[in-house]
Amino acid sequence: MKPAGFDYVAPATLDAAVEALAAANGEGKLLAGGQSLLPLLNFRMTRPAVLVDLNGIKELSFIEKRGDHVAIGALTRHRDIEHSPLIASDLPVMSAAMRHVAHLAIRNRGTIGGSLSHADPAAELPMLAMFYDARLAVQGPGGRRTIAAKDFFVDALTNCLEPEDIVAEIEFPILRHDGWAFEEAAKRFGDFALASVALSIRRGASGIEDARVAVMGVADTPLRLGDVEKRLVESGIDGRISDRFAEWVASSVTPNSDLHASGEYRKHLLAGLAKRAMTTALAMKG
Amino acid sequence: MSSDRLAQPADVLRPRHVGAPIKRTEDPRLLTGRGEYTADRKPDRALHVAFRRSEQPHAKIIRIDTTAASATPGVVAVLTADSIAGDFKPVIPFSRMSSYYATPIMPLASGKVRYVGEAVVAVIATSRYLAEDAVELIEIDYEPLGAISRAGAAVASDAPLLHEEAGTNVLIAREFKKSDVDADLSAAAVRVSGRFEMTRKAPLAMEPRSYTAEYDARRSALTLYTSSNIPGIVRDALSESLGIPGNRMRVVAPDVGGSFGSKGSLYPEEMLMCIAARKLGRSLKWTADRLEDVSSSSQAFAEIVDAEMGFDSNGVAIALKADVIGDIGAYSIYPWTCGLEPVQVVSFLPGPYKIGSYRGAVRGVATCKPPTGPYRGVGRPISTFVTERLMDLGAKALGLDPLEIRRRNLVRPNEFPYRIASGIIWDKTGFIECLEAAGQTAAYDRLRAQQTEARKQGKLFGIGIASYAELTGIGSRIPAAPGMPINTGSETAKISIDSTGAITAAFGVASHGQGLETTLAQIIADDLGASFDDIRVVQGDSDAVPMSTGTYASRSAVLGGGAAKHASALLQNKIKRVASHLLEANNDDIEVSGGKAMVSGTDRFVTFKQIAKAVYSDTRTLPVDAREELTASYTYDPINGTTAAATHIAVVEIDPVTCFVHILKYVVAEDCGQIINPMIVDGQVHGGVAQGIGAALFEELVYDDDAQLLTASLVDYVIPSALEVPNMDVVHVESQSAVAGGFRGMGEGGAIGAPAAIANAIADALSPFGADVSILPMTPERIFQLIKQSKSKAEEKSR
Amino acid sequence: MAVKVSVIVNGTRREVADLEPRLLLSDFLRDALGLTGTHVGCEHGVCGACTVLLNGDSVRSCLTLAVQANGCEITTVEGLGTPETLNVLQTQFREHHGLQCGFCTPGMLMTGEDLLRKYPFATDEEIREGLSGNLCRCTGYQNIVAAIRSAAAIRREQTQ
Ligand SMILES: Cc1cc2nc3c(=O)[nH]c(=O)nc-3n(C[C@H](O)[C@H](O)[C@H](O)COP(=O)(O)OP(=O)(O)OC[C@H]3O[C@@H](n4cnc5c(N)ncnc54)[C@H](O)[C@@H]3O)c2cc1C
Ligand code: FES
Ligand code: FES
Repeated sequence: MKPAGFDYVAPATLDAAVEALAAANGEGKLLAGGQSLLPLLNFRMTRPAVLVDLNGIKELSFIEKRGDHVAIGALTRHRDIEHSPLIASDLPVMSAAMRHVAHLAIRNRGTIGGSLSHADPAAELPMLAMFYDARLAVQGPGGRRTIAAKDFFVDALTNCLEPEDIVAEIEFPILRHDGWAFEEAAKRFGDFALASVALSIRRGASGIEDARVAVMGVADTPLRLGDVEKRLVESGIDGRISDRFAEWVASSVTPNSDLHASGEYRKHLLAGLAKRAMTTALAMKG
Repeated sequence: MSSDRLAQPADVLRPRHVGAPIKRTEDPRLLTGRGEYTADRKPDRALHVAFRRSEQPHAKIIRIDTTAASATPGVVAVLTADSIAGDFKPVIPFSRMSSYYATPIMPLASGKVRYVGEAVVAVIATSRYLAEDAVELIEIDYEPLGAISRAGAAVASDAPLLHEEAGTNVLIAREFKKSDVDADLSAAAVRVSGRFEMTRKAPLAMEPRSYTAEYDARRSALTLYTSSNIPGIVRDALSESLGIPGNRMRVVAPDVGGSFGSKGSLYPEEMLMCIAARKLGRSLKWTADRLEDVSSSSQAFAEIVDAEMGFDSNGVAIALKADVIGDIGAYSIYPWTCGLEPVQVVSFLPGPYKIGSYRGAVRGVATCKPPTGPYRGVGRPISTFVTERLMDLGAKALGLDPLEIRRRNLVRPNEFPYRIASGIIWDKTGFIECLEAAGQTAAYDRLRAQQTEARKQGKLFGIGIASYAELTGIGSRIPAAPGMPINTGSETAKISIDSTGAITAAFGVASHGQGLETTLAQIIADDLGASFDDIRVVQGDSDAVPMSTGTYASRSAVLGGGAAKHASALLQNKIKRVASHLLEANNDDIEVSGGKAMVSGTDRFVTFKQIAKAVYSDTRTLPVDAREELTASYTYDPINGTTAAATHIAVVEIDPVTCFVHILKYVVAEDCGQIINPMIVDGQVHGGVAQGIGAALFEELVYDDDAQLLTASLVDYVIPSALEVPNMDVVHVESQSAVAGGFRGMGEGGAIGAPAAIANAIADALSPFGADVSILPMTPERIFQLIKQSKSKAEEKSR
Repeated sequence: MAVKVSVIVNGTRREVADLEPRLLLSDFLRDALGLTGTHVGCEHGVCGACTVLLNGDSVRSCLTLAVQANGCEITTVEGLGTPETLNVLQTQFREHHGLQCGFCTPGMLMTGEDLLRKYPFATDEEIREGLSGNLCRCTGYQNIVAAIRSAAAIRREQTQ
């Protein structure tokens, strides 16, 4: 199990990387943390002619507050997000989710840009990008453009990028909410999720004023459940809210069956996780 | 219980090594990266091997084109079955069993392929990277012959035959019978039954299989370094197959990264490596990548058991009937045969219980999968699962507590030796003692009270018990397969003191994690009277002793330990004779301990070093006929072997949302006789239980209907990590066995008890739903389906 | 295409030229440098046997190219302690019987080192979580957890 041969370049700037990628004529591949790409290379399931290593581009690694959102450079490691006080205070759901992303050594290498680009339907960061309504700044031969998360994830393991595009940074709008939760179930801790729910709410006098809901592991891409969010806002908070929420979440998905679980079980699981999430979010002081 | 066992006077007088938690000799090298596993060998200018494996489950090989592969940079040779045809004799896993067909073992698929993953072509190149490049360029044309993926399909009348010469896909069939089961079952007050399944699993040692064949042109000799736990058996088979005498064919198992059975048979790749090394006159290296390892190493279980048990009104089990079908994969393995796993199931089904009548029938059926072979516990993880489920079902039907029903059925202390209905004889062992000790340690009554409380709160809380017995340290009277060509019943120790006074003890065993370098030295330190640090144990090397087999079947402490005791005694006598000359004392007055021989009651002594000098170097001190070489060798055969037993108690809670099973408590009470090293014994139990947890909750090799493996990676074949294994309480009932040293084998036990205990705990947790647990692993998906079915049944009823 | 890799391994500068870019760091350490203490159990990032420290952080050497380590500092198990002078963590593994076959052990130790440095006050549960990316088939983990717990306590004492 060894990779097939390839050439290797390690540009020092984003522009040089775009150039190198373009020069590869569609046969190039970006290497970030390598934690998804290297297994594929080792299995010879992908065989690029050129690897363009992003790890030397210092400008791509940062976590910054910019007004009402947090910007994260594409090469920022999972570990840095996990331990960032800024993320903990301004993107608490993301902060809570990070320990579910793989394991210590993998978080030391894996990057947010790589995780989003890899677009695994059971990965935490793509789901959080949907959840926060993130915007991805993408650099290509024609310059920089912005893509909304909801347009970025096209299918399982498929994003909307052109072969010469590079994700440079991602902006996460901060939610001014007062209750949130992240629930996930995986066969073993750190495995990709069987199902997961992210929830955030702001409460007011009349009940829930604003809500965010995203799920994963139950479709070919992570999903933001806009309808459920709307129903939450319309519905008051009473003793049955968690159950209703669970029902709404479950009825908005039709998961497929695969080797690890049936669609039916995943739906049941998702409903249970949703209920737990709502209970947790409501238990936070408003 | 070892921890608070009272010290005997002898212990106080002389520090004893046996029974003490001595730190392992192996550790310093393994902790610093100085160990040497097979893949760490660095032979001169070694070439690297990669295999092209079959993507077809069952097909005729029409054409193999290796032209492009041969022309790839770095490639030295490309070998197929045709190009090595004259270089070896096939190895036959012979046995005298009737209704058994022995499939020959070939280094590369010849004529046809019989499972996905079977090696077809070997590429030899200057690096593994280049060899893999070339493997991709090999073209093979196949003519598909029809996949056989399930045992049921294999016995259908229109099924294609995997081995035409056998005339059937049933490669083995046996039956064990005692008394009239049907009559006893009809007379029974209560009958319980079920169809139980243990799915196919991988032993999954963390070190993948690895072989380095080193060619010595000067002597035309071959040394195979192999990640094997049976290097002696491999040496003998290769010697015969390649026609190389044992003094030019050496097989060494250096540090080995676990086996759990997967490294306990002769492999086609071991043959190929030696054949190719000799052909090319070069040293060769190959290590399985993880996918190759999972898809071509021997696998385990894959049995379906239809079983029924009858009880009298007192809860005494009186009759047991079982029909087993085992999916043995494509070939019989050497030397154990394809009967090993399935036949063992019917041999052990009556377990530690006094069941009067029995009929167990088994068929082993060929399918397009890698062969099944040894797996920690062989057969007993499933026989225990079935019998213990039936015991619990019986208890439920009779309104008895699960602990109580076992009390009523276990063989009692005064009833040993006891021949169970399948013919196995249990020697005196603490069956009941283990049951009671486990109950006490787990605070069983309190657990039941806790369960009542938990259930009131709607929690799915379950307690599961499993008792079992196993045969360990088996002697020559009980071969793994009748008439097999090797003797697994004896083990040799060869101890020598050299001219520097250092002690070397050579064995035929092959440690792969059990710490035998430590435990065997502990025995020698005590019985020879040597200093522990002076002893070097050599093992895992076919050159160390004339005949050896290795480490498997919980045998090494009993057989290796027994040989060590006897050889130590012989050598100590020699030491005494020499010392009596040197100290001018009576032989009987010499006491040997700590590397010194001394005259009892005096301070006069000679050290081993002085004795060695007197015997070997200083020709003036001793008369010629007193200069006995300081060596002793003993081959020990316990003839029958000895029993080991345990009771496991698992406490679980099932999360109704995730359907995950959380193990809240795990208790093992086990009797492995005289404990040599309690630290190592506990470690073996922990590891066995963890593996059993994997078997019970996570692990399953899934083959689709075309016999393609869907779970070859470690992402899909899920073994427990640190968070899935609980802390365990292990207690010991040290009843001395009848073999030398009073030892009993214990390397496998944990893996035997855990699946059954967890299955019973899950069934107990789900009893509010009336759900039954009859297949392992109990994945969240299966638990979800069980709950769902029970709920819909209940709804139907109430309608 | 051939590349040159220059690294500081266990405190010593090592340089190897004429390597293929596809060479994995695990193979570089084992074959080019002869440091076979780093084990390879899966080559797809799951088992953790190949874990080494790269500039102080634990990483999978099977999921890192050798060329990516160019200019970096690497610590492998050979760099922790010698058989005569085991370091604290190694000693505790021996004391607590945290290894059997020893194949997972180098990866466990390197992960343990990273874990202890980043989470010196880890609870048992956190230790288990930290080890969740390292598979062991022999020990059932109980004694590994005990070894790390006790190494943490000793290190805390030593730094006080
Ligand atoms: C055993 C194991 C368990 C794991 N478990 C989880 C888990 O539970 N949850 C989880 O989320 N992840 C998990 N991962 C994946 C891990 O999080 C990866 O780090 C992540 O998916 C990919 O990030 P990377 O930086 O390593 O990307 P790489 O592997 O380097 O690249 C991944 C893909 O993205 C492309 N790419 C990389 N960077 C960019 C960029 N800036 N712009 C455009 N394309 C780019 C690459 O070309 C490649 O196609 C696991 C990995 C392993 C090995
Ligand atoms: S070999 Fe690298 S994680 Fe298994
Ligand atoms: S000690 Fe053998 S795998 Fe961990």
